[in-house]
Amino acid sequence: MVVLAKEVPDLEAMVKVTADGGALEVEKRRGLNFFDEIAVEAALKLEQSAGASVLAVSAGAGTGIEALRRALAMGSDAALLVDDPALEHADSLTVARALAAAARREGFDLVLAGKQATDDEAGLVGPMVAELLGVPCVTNIIGLQVEGDIARVTRETEAGRETLSVALPAVLTVEKGLAEPRVPAVMGVMKAMKAQIPRVTLAELGAEAQPPLTLAGYATAPARPPAKMLEGEPATVAVELARLLKEEAKVL
Amino acid sequence: MSRFVVIAEARDGDYRPSTYELLAQARRLAGSLGGEVAALTLGDDAGLRDRLSGLAHRVISIGGAGLAPYSADGWVAALGSALDALPARGAAPQVILFGESPRTREVLPRVAARLGAYAATNAVDLFEDGGRLLLRRPVYGGKAYAVHEIGAGRVLAAFRPHAFGADAPAGLPTAFEEVAAPATESRVTVLSSEAGAARTVDLTEANVVVAGGRGMKGPDNFHLLQELADALEGAVGYSRAVVDAGQAEHAQQVGKSGKTVSPTLYVAAGISGAIHHIMGMDTAKVVVAINTDPSAPIFGYADYGIVGDALQVLPALTEEIRRG
Ligand SMILES: Cc1cc2nc3c(=O)[nH]c(=O)nc-3n(C[C@H](O)[C@H](O)[C@H](O)COP(=O)(O)OP(=O)(O)OC[C@H]3O[C@@H](n4cnc5c(N)ncnc54)[C@H](O)[C@@H]3O)c2cc1C
Ligand SMILES: Nc1ncnc2c1ncn2[C@@H]1O[C@H](COP(=O)(O)O)[C@@H](O)[C@H]1O
Repeated sequence: MVVLAKEVPDLEAMVKVTADGGALEVEKRRGLNFFDEIAVEAALKLEQSAGASVLAVSAGAGTGIEALRRALAMGSDAALLVDDPALEHADSLTVARALAAAARREGFDLVLAGKQATDDEAGLVGPMVAELLGVPCVTNIIGLQVEGDIARVTRETEAGRETLSVALPAVLTVEKGLAEPRVPAVMGVMKAMKAQIPRVTLAELGAEAQPPLTLAGYATAPARPPAKMLEGEPATVAVELARLLKEEAKVL
Repeated sequence: MSRFVVIAEARDGDYRPSTYELLAQARRLAGSLGGEVAALTLGDDAGLRDRLSGLAHRVISIGGAGLAPYSADGWVAALGSALDALPARGAAPQVILFGESPRTREVLPRVAARLGAYAATNAVDLFEDGGRLLLRRPVYGGKAYAVHEIGAGRVLAAFRPHAFGADAPAGLPTAFEEVAAPATESRVTVLSSEAGAARTVDLTEANVVVAGGRGMKGPDNFHLLQELADALEGAVGYSRAVVDAGQAEHAQQVGKSGKTVSPTLYVAAGISGAIHHIMGMDTAKVVVAINTDPSAPIFGYADYGIVGDALQVLPALTEEIRRG
C-alpha cells in the first residue's frame, strides 16, 4: 500500500499576502495534511487485517520530511521522499507525475490519498495519479474493506450514500470520517526521528515537470464593510432587516 | 479567438444552475475577448440539450454506451476524446469550465491528466483585465486568493455555484452536433445506494442558506431554521458543534471540514463565527448574523448583525418574509 503524504502549513498558521501582492508569507509550522493523516490511519488498519506493508510517499522541494516522519511515527513501515527543486510551487500534474512514478517503481495494490490538501485545496493530485497509473479511482470514501483483490468502499453522495466495489490496484481518496488518526506513541516518534528517509529526484524517476499556470498575484480576501447592527424587539428588527435585505442588499 | 467550453451537467430534469451561470460568463468573455462558446453535454444529460439553444455557438452532445448510467471511467474517456477533437487554436486560451460537483471532482483531474492540461478547482471568478484572462481561487481556506493568468494552452477549471450571474444576453445562433464516445467499461461497480435525510446539493447550490449553531439550543428548535429556509426557498446548514453533537448529519455541516457554500444570502443563527466555520461561507454575498453575544466574532464577517435571541428573532423574521 502506498499513502500519499503531503506536507502542508498547519491549519492555524498565519497567512499573509506580501505588500506587492506577489507572494504569500506563511508561518513555518508544518505537518502532515489533515486528510492524509486519515489515509495513513486507514492504511495501518488494513495492514493489520490484510498483512500488507505501508509506504508513505511525499513530494516537495526540500519539504516533506515532517509529513513522512509523522506517517512513520504513526506506524508506516517505510517512507520515500521525492525531493526536487522543480517541485517548488509545482503544478498539480507535475506532483502527480512524480508520485505516480514513485508508486510504480515501488509497486502497489492500493494507493490512498487525501481528498484534498489544506493549503491549495485543489483535490486534484489523487485522481490524477490514478489516471497516470491507469487504474480506477474512487474519491471521498468514508468506508473501506478489502477482500482479496476487491475493495468495497462507501461514500456520501448528493442524495445520500453509496457502496461501490472496485478491482485493485486502485487509487482511493479519503474523506473525514473514514478513520480517526491515532496519536503516535513516544516510541514511534523516537523511531521516526532516527529513520533515514531515502530521496529520489524527478530525473531518477523519469518524471517530467511542466511549468505551472502563470501566477498573476495574490489578493487578500475582500473585507466586508463593518456590519450594520440592528437593535430592538425581535418583531421590530425583523421588519427592519427584511426591508434592508429587500431595498439595500437587494437579495429578496 | 479564445474558446470557452462549458460542461453542461444536469440534475433532476434540468441543467444545474451553474451550467447557465458558466455559459453566461463564457458569453460575456467571448464578447469582450473575442471567441467561441461551446457546450458539451454527456449521456442522459444530452436529452435536455434544447434548453441550451441560444446560449452557446455550439452544443456538442456526446453519446455512447459507457455514459448512462454515469460512471467516472466512461465520462473521463468521453470528455478526453471530445476535448481532443477540439484542438487549441494557436496561442489562444482554451478554458473548459465545469460547475463544482462530485462528478466534476472525480472527472476533471483525470481528464486533465489524460490531456496534459492545466487544472484548477474551487475557482470563484474568471475575468478579463486589460486583455488578459484571469482566474481567481481561494487558498488556505480563504485566508488569501490566488490569481492566475490563463495564456496559451488548455485549462480545465471548476467554479463554485453562484460565481457568476446567469443573466447575460443570449440569442446566439446555435449549431447542434453529436459525437460518439469510445466504448468504455467502468471498473467501478455500484453495489447499493441509499437516500439520506440531507441533500447536500440543496446546501451547496441553494441561493439562501439558513445555518444554526450551538446557540439554537438543540434539535427541538431546528424547525425555526427550516421554516425561515422554506420561506426564502433556501436550505438549512449547521455548524460543526451541532454535527459533532449528533444533532445533524455531516453532509449538512458548513465549514472547513464540511461544505463550502456561496449563497446570495447566508443567515447564521447562534453561530459564534470560528474561523473554521467562516472558511465555509465567507464568499456568501450577504451575511446576516443573529447572536446574543455582541462581541461574537461572526459579526466581523456579517453585513447585518442582530444582537438577540435567535429563538425569537428567527420566527419573527420568518413571519415578516411570509408577509412579503
Ligand atoms: C480542524 C478543524 C475543522 C473544523 N471544521 C469546522 C467546520 O467545518 N464547520 C464548523 O462550523 N466548525 C468547524 N470547526 C469547529 C469550530 O472551530 C467551532 O468549534 C464551531 O464552529 C463552533 O460551533 P458553534 O458556533 O455552533 O458553537 P459555539 O462556538 O459554542 O457558539 C455558539 C454561539 O451561539 C451564541 N448563542 C447562544 N445562545 C444563543 C441564542 N439564544 N441566540 C443566538 N445566539 C446564541 C453564543 O453567543 C455563541 O456565539 C473546526 C475545528 C477544527 C479544529
Ligand atoms: N506534494 C505531495 N506529496 C505527497 N502527496 C501529495 C502531494 N500533493 C498532493 N498529494 C496527495 O494528493 C491529495 C490531494 O492534494 P491536492 O490536489 O493538492 O489538494 C493530498 O491529500 C495528498 O494525499
